[in-house]
Amino acid sequence: MRPRVRAVRWEAVSEPFTHRLLPYDGVESFVAGAVPFLRAGVAAGDRVMAVTDMARETLLREALGEDARRVEFVDAETWYAHPARTLAECLAEADAAASRGRRLRLLGEPVWTARPPLEVLEWQRAEALANIAFADTGAALMCPYAVRTLPPGIVAAARHTHPETARGARATRNPGFVDPAAYCRRVDSAPLPDPPPDAVVLDLDRPDLYWLRMCVGDYARGCALPEDRLQRLLVAVTEVVTNAVRHGAPPIVLRMWTDADGPGPPALVCEVVDHGEWAPDAGFGHVPPRPGGDGRFGLWAVRLLCSLVQIRTGGGATTVRLWFRHRAGPPRVKGFMQSAHRLDSAAYAERVRDDLDRQVTS
Amino acid sequence: MNGLDVGWFTERPVGELRPGDHAWLAYATREEREHVIGDFVHDGLRNTEEKVVYVADSPPERLPGVRRLDDVTLRDRVRRRQLRVLSRAQTCLDRAGRFDPSRMVDVLAHEVDAAFDQEFRAVRVTTDFSWLLTAPGGGLTRMLSCEHLVAEAVSPSTTTMAICQVRRGARPPDELAALRDTHEVLVEANPEFDDGVLKIVRTFDPPGLRVEGELDAARHAAFSDRLARVSKGRLRTHLDLSRLRFVDLGGLSLLTRHACDLPGGSVLVLDELPPEVEDVIEMVGWHRLPGLVRGRPREA
Repeated sequence: MRPRVRAVRWEAVSEPFTHRLLPYDGVESFVAGAVPFLRAGVAAGDRVMAVTDMARETLLREALGEDARRVEFVDAETWYAHPARTLAECLAEADAAASRGRRLRLLGEPVWTARPPLEVLEWQRAEALANIAFADTGAALMCPYAVRTLPPGIVAAARHTHPETARGARATRNPGFVDPAAYCRRVDSAPLPDPPPDAVVLDLDRPDLYWLRMCVGDYARGCALPEDRLQRLLVAVTEVVTNAVRHGAPPIVLRMWTDADGPGPPALVCEVVDHGEWAPDAGFGHVPPRPGGDGRFGLWAVRLLCSLVQIRTGGGATTVRLWFRHRAGPPRVKGFMQSAHRLDSAAYAERVRDDLDRQVTS
Repeated sequence: MNGLDVGWFTERPVGELRPGDHAWLAYATREEREHVIGDFVHDGLRNTEEKVVYVADSPPERLPGVRRLDDVTLRDRVRRRQLRVLSRAQTCLDRAGRFDPSRMVDVLAHEVDAAFDQEFRAVRVTTDFSWLLTAPGGGLTRMLSCEHLVAEAVSPSTTTMAICQVRRGARPPDELAALRDTHEVLVEANPEFDDGVLKIVRTFDPPGLRVEGELDAARHAAFSDRLARVSKGRLRTHLDLSRLRFVDLGGLSLLTRHACDLPGGSVLVLDELPPEVEDVIEMVGWHRLPGLVRGRPREA
């Protein structure tokens, strides 16, 4: 049996870009949806990728037979490492394929277990954003969801983020699909919990930020943040504060704390609050900028640099909360910021002077 | 830098040389020499408190730094013997036309003594030694002993500072390294910008800028201005980032926008990227930074 006929029919019912949910309750329904999808790509000369685990790879290879040789299998744990980065990398693959006149066809089953709730939220958001990001790439995406073993909330969210549902080789419109922008607004409407009372507070009273980086760097060194992550933290914080200085309204305040057992990963959290509100079309940096743009990446790059980002704007203030996952274990050094509570640039300068005096006299 | 090991030397911008400094400049291009020696000479002649002794066969008005003076000032500096241009023969050679290091040291010592009598506050001495490395009676060994004599005369001095210039291509690198080792100070161009957080220094081989410290929004304009000047008319402008500690996202955008504004095919080469800065660039993706290319890797 050649898959050619099926492939033609498949193309005939679809828009150029597709993003399909494949709900499955066992091997049979998984194979029945995934195999025609992959075969159609092989037949059409697509770049065909299957992101999944070892067990499903074995199943698919067996079912695909000869065609499996033209499918690239990728380990899901590695692929689904970070929502914003995975989205960016996948988009780069789609663009690269499109530039060679090919289509990217990707079967991808996200990893849902052992993720803290805030990370789950971001992976669900990535599913919604894929509809915007890939719209003009012509990519074909299919996302299998194990409906019997996954928590019901995850399956329900998938019905909001996929415009179509696959059953076997057929696709139908998904009535539960929500406009991606509206979906993101909904995710971002839940109020953020207050920072803990022992958070370090920096009053940002001047536009020159080198002293801020000194404080943040010192605090981070005391928080078991890996040294090679420090630059990412400083770049992200600088970007968010620079935005607040340029487009927000004073007073601008930065708070830092560590969160070990909240809804996010164990992390160093930096929050920047200013007293302006973002325009409705400001964009939260969700969608990767297209190559050949003006080279401004702003918030999108901040999302790549952080473990996760939360933004709330409205009610006369804007809050951007940046999470940096840290490893377990004791802090490496105790810096001068560890004993600080509230500082502005003048108080910081005084502290640095004291610190120097102590080093000189001891 | 120049690919040579610079372990125990003091690097100093020419504007910060002090009396007692016996400094070394292996220049790559005339432009570099004009920058460094020009500032050295001009700093001495701008006011009337310092004496400049330049050993060269060129007429004074064609020497680096002297060119920046107007005619009236130049005539004044020559008249009061504040600027002394001594010919090579008169300073370095014996009657037979062979290189004579002790004569050279005597002549220079005489000029320094005279400066003291004239109540000059300091004496700046410089010459380009390149020709001596192949002159009769010259060569590496004689030059080394000559440099030791100069070092003995200059280093304990409270008034004299000297720059020995050599064209980098004049001799093989190992010979230049041996000569360089007789100096305590490596002199370089004055920074184009330095506010204590960000320092920008012109480099000449390859041509570009060395960017040290932290580049953020408060310093974008200063950097952009220096970058525009140095990259004008160049296909490849090199940025030595070995001492860059931080660059913000706006700084990366600025680089790529600048590269795209250059004539077709021009690029900015990022040399010796610190790994933590490269990590941020990789995160954003090189393909989103057109016009930027990875250059020489960082030395281990």
